Amino acid sequence: MSEAPLLSVRAVDAGYGHVDVLENVSLDVGDRKIVALVGRNGAGKSTLLRTISGLIRPRRGQIAFAGANLAGARPDAIVGAGLLHVAEGRRLFRRQTVDDNLELGRYGLRLTQAEHARRIERIHALFPILREKRGLHAGSLSGGQQQMLAIAQAMMRAPKLLMLDEPSLGLAPVLVDQVLDAIASLRAEGVAILLVEQMVERALEIADDAYVLQNGRIIASGPAREIAAGDALRAAYMGEHGAAARA
Amino acid sequence: MDLDTLAHGLVAGSLYALVAVSFNILYRPSNVFNFAQGELVMVGAMTFASAMSVAGMPWIVAFAATLALVGMICLVEERIAVAPILKRAQTGTAWVITTLAVSLIISNLVGRIWGPDPILVKPPEPLSMDSLNVAGVRISSYEVALVICTVALVAMVERAYQTLQGKAVMAVAEDREAALMRGIDPGRLGRWSFFIGGAFAGMTGVVAAPILYASTSLGPDLLLKGFAAAAVGSIGNNRGALIAGYIIGLTEAFGAALLSPGYQEAVIFLVVLGVLLLRPEGLFGRPSARTV
Ligand SMILES: Nc1ncnc2c1ncn2[C@@H]1O[C@H](COP(=O)(O)OP(=O)(O)O)[C@@H](O)[C@H]1O
Ligand SMILES: [Mg+2]
Repeated sequence: MSEAPLLSVRAVDAGYGHVDVLENVSLDVGDRKIVALVGRNGAGKSTLLRTISGLIRPRRGQIAFAGANLAGARPDAIVGAGLLHVAEGRRLFRRQTVDDNLELGRYGLRLTQAEHARRIERIHALFPILREKRGLHAGSLSGGQQQMLAIAQAMMRAPKLLMLDEPSLGLAPVLVDQVLDAIASLRAEGVAILLVEQMVERALEIADDAYVLQNGRIIASGPAREIAAGDALRAAYMGEHGAAARA
Repeated sequence: MDLDTLAHGLVAGSLYALVAVSFNILYRPSNVFNFAQGELVMVGAMTFASAMSVAGMPWIVAFAATLALVGMICLVEERIAVAPILKRAQTGTAWVITTLAVSLIISNLVGRIWGPDPILVKPPEPLSMDSLNVAGVRISSYEVALVICTVALVAMVERAYQTLQGKAVMAVAEDREAALMRGIDPGRLGRWSFFIGGAFAGMTGVVAAPILYASTSLGPDLLLKGFAAAAVGSIGNNRGALIAGYIIGLTEAFGAALLSPGYQEAVIFLVVLGVLLLRPEGLFGRPSARTV
């Protein structure tokens, strides 16, 4: 990669109150790449995504996105720059309808009626179930449908980079495949993806690059294929009874 | 059963419903209950009365000026008494004290400006407070208009929550952090909601003035019964507030007519207490719940 990456995290420290979680974390996501971020529970993966999306202020370090410095920027400004975060547990507006959730996905964007309709149309083509369920409360959808809605909601904004935190969490195996396939097809549409996923093998299959996080530090990085074959991954999951291999 | 009592109950209930809706407008994005709301209604009534009778402004000008002023007061309250507290802890409850303090400050200041004498306010032409005989019920044209306008206003407010900005407010109410992740700025929606909720309280004062007279002692009574209507109707639920407003207004009217006027307050709060003991979340379910 010669030109600057789309997202570049440099030497970031972050945490909660007096708790330090991330230490000297650096990470790049290139244009139109899928980058997997793996590591066992509590390693700090969600904390890193939350820091990038502005929910947590980094104590130190730089975060550059599409040429602009985002460290310390407000979450709505970061979303406005085209960096979307689909949180762990999906965090949909459960008491609003599927259609309302999609509409909220474009909050603050000036879209013509026609462009709005076009985006909805494209989402329905990708996830037909969301058309079927359009008038229902998001909270009444199944886990897989909710995950699709969460991704679709982010797609309403046509983001440059999508950060997905454990999209397969709690899904039946068939649905895991469906969601991961959908993620791979997003790259084909020009969206870069930073993927946190417990199904490590599956994630590394669709990813271009990967980072391994352990106790708040990056212990390995490189092409996803090499990470999948390397020792760092096994070291990172040691003590979790091969949870990584099960995927 | 006395139909006049029914009319009385509906008129009073309309005012309680309006106060309750003004509570809800502020509550939705902030989860804050503004205990100064009763005094804001009072300031609305007094400002409007002065603008009409002292400054001689046309009705519509006095109306607009009152809404703008009370909206601004409420926005200032948000900036100095609510935002700093929510900034420190989103789930803090110190706003109970600070909004009560604002209530007392307003009440004291207003006492200095206006004094205790109530001001008579005439309804806008062609409405009047003269009693008409509508199918055997004595009610004025202004009171009929008030009941109709109340229902229309609540419907309008509910429609506003169907716009994208309104849906964003509901999103903040449900999950503030999730809203942040969608590019919604809860602070901005909170400020707008305080301004609009304040203006709504001011408007309630304007429409109440011809019926109750504009008086500096208006606040506490409307605060209490408006609060009761909001709680019985499920906090955050405007349709619930409308129905609960009428329940409370009718209970009060019939309590006064059937028992003695001395017991009317007691009867209201027995009903409120009974409802909340059986259904702590109010008659209309979760705040802001919607059925499809
Ligand atoms: N709100 C919080 N306050 C304090 N500590 C937290 C908070 N959230 C997470 N942590 C801690 O930060 C560490 C990293 O958590 P997290 O980023 O959620 O890990 P992961 O997503 O990799 O499972 C854990 O030790 C966790 O206990
Ligand atoms: Mg996590």
